[in-house]
Amino acid sequence: MKRFFFLSVLITVGLFSAEITSAQDLTSLKEAFRNIRSVKAEFLQNRSLQILTKPLFSEGKLFFYTPDSLRWEYLSPLRSVMLRKGNTIQIYNFSDGVWKPEIAHAVESRQMVLAEISHWFQGRFAESKAFKHLYSPGPPERIILLSGEGINRFINRIEIVLSVRPGVIDRVEIEEPGGSRTSIEFKNVEINSGFSSEVFEKP
Amino acid sequence: MTRRRGLDICLLVFLILSSGCGLISKTTLKPGSPDDLPGCYAIFPAEPWVSVHRLEATIGGGSSSLLGVTKGEPSERRLQSLLLSPEGFILFDAERRENGIAVRKAVAPFDSPAFARGLMEDVTLIFLSPQGVPVIWGRETDGTMFCNWEGHNDSRTEIKGSMDSGWRILSRDKYGEVIKEVVLNGPFVNGLASRVELRAFKPATYRIRITLLQAFP
Repeated sequence: MKRFFFLSVLITVGLFSAEITSAQDLTSLKEAFRNIRSVKAEFLQNRSLQILTKPLFSEGKLFFYTPDSLRWEYLSPLRSVMLRKGNTIQIYNFSDGVWKPEIAHAVESRQMVLAEISHWFQGRFAESKAFKHLYSPGPPERIILLSGEGINRFINRIEIVLSVRPGVIDRVEIEEPGGSRTSIEFKNVEINSGFSSEVFEKP
Repeated sequence: MTRRRGLDICLLVFLILSSGCGLISKTTLKPGSPDDLPGCYAIFPAEPWVSVHRLEATIGGGSSSLLGVTKGEPSERRLQSLLLSPEGFILFDAERRENGIAVRKAVAPFDSPAFARGLMEDVTLIFLSPQGVPVIWGRETDGTMFCNWEGHNDSRTEIKGSMDSGWRILSRDKYGEVIKEVVLNGPFVNGLASRVELRAFKPATYRIRITLLQAFP
């Protein structure tokens, strides 16, 4: 009983201190993200499902240009691309040697995902409509997104692990109800490098 | 008038002959030897498995690419099927058991009972052999295997093919019309075809190309 009480106090103090540091450190974090105009990166996605004995790997690349242009492309095992430019969302699948538009209703359900990812690359965690955020100073520094009512049917929490490079995300961990997890690791991250705006318009 | 009666008689003769041909073709398809019978089940996994497939669906003018995860226990005729978006989110998760379908998770637009029923029917047609023993089976001179099962409400399932040329499963309704067609091509990994194409004709029309990515015992 005593041990349980001690543990509870530790957890409470830990959470409390995380919240105390969140205000000042989030300000410096926002400063770091403020200098970012564009991001280009490759990613490796690792999907663990209870039904699978081995995780499922996906590879892809992303382009982001502030404030709301995003290209999120999977190269394998499915070749698929989500394009966001302003409020326009397009999703294409590569099939029979050509890019084909995704059927409309699937586009709508993924719109929120793209909006969330766009927020992450700008450090605008407070603007999420679906998640509350907490800051953990680390190291490594982490942003913890806790799902609100409705979205918690699908996602419990998201942890964004930040790089030592200011404004760069190293890894995103997504936890779902039922124990399934997704980890997305970013590599070869290029900040403010030049690329054509066509990447957000054409598959 | 005489000409009309002549036409009627011709038509009657044609109908009698054609129905006679149907009877002849049915009776000449005698059951194959018991040694051939295991061939009717060769395209279905015999042991429990878990597989990951790439699904490319064409419905109307649009297309959709998803990942499909299937867990099967053939001896129990039990299947669990998951649909994942390319990002990895579970859009649909359902289990087929002897007493029906249990949907664990279904996100719009995959949340209708008709979708769950249709998807589990498709998965069953591809991965589980029809129930019981075929009413007709045999092997043609070129080695092509054929097996026909009779199901509920006069529905039929026909399987025809070989490991060299590939396999075709036809699901027919009580009127004999093909409602679904599955083409399976090897190589087979843990009893699972590497490439599958399913075409549905009734009640909805769609095509799904299924490519095996991973298979575990």
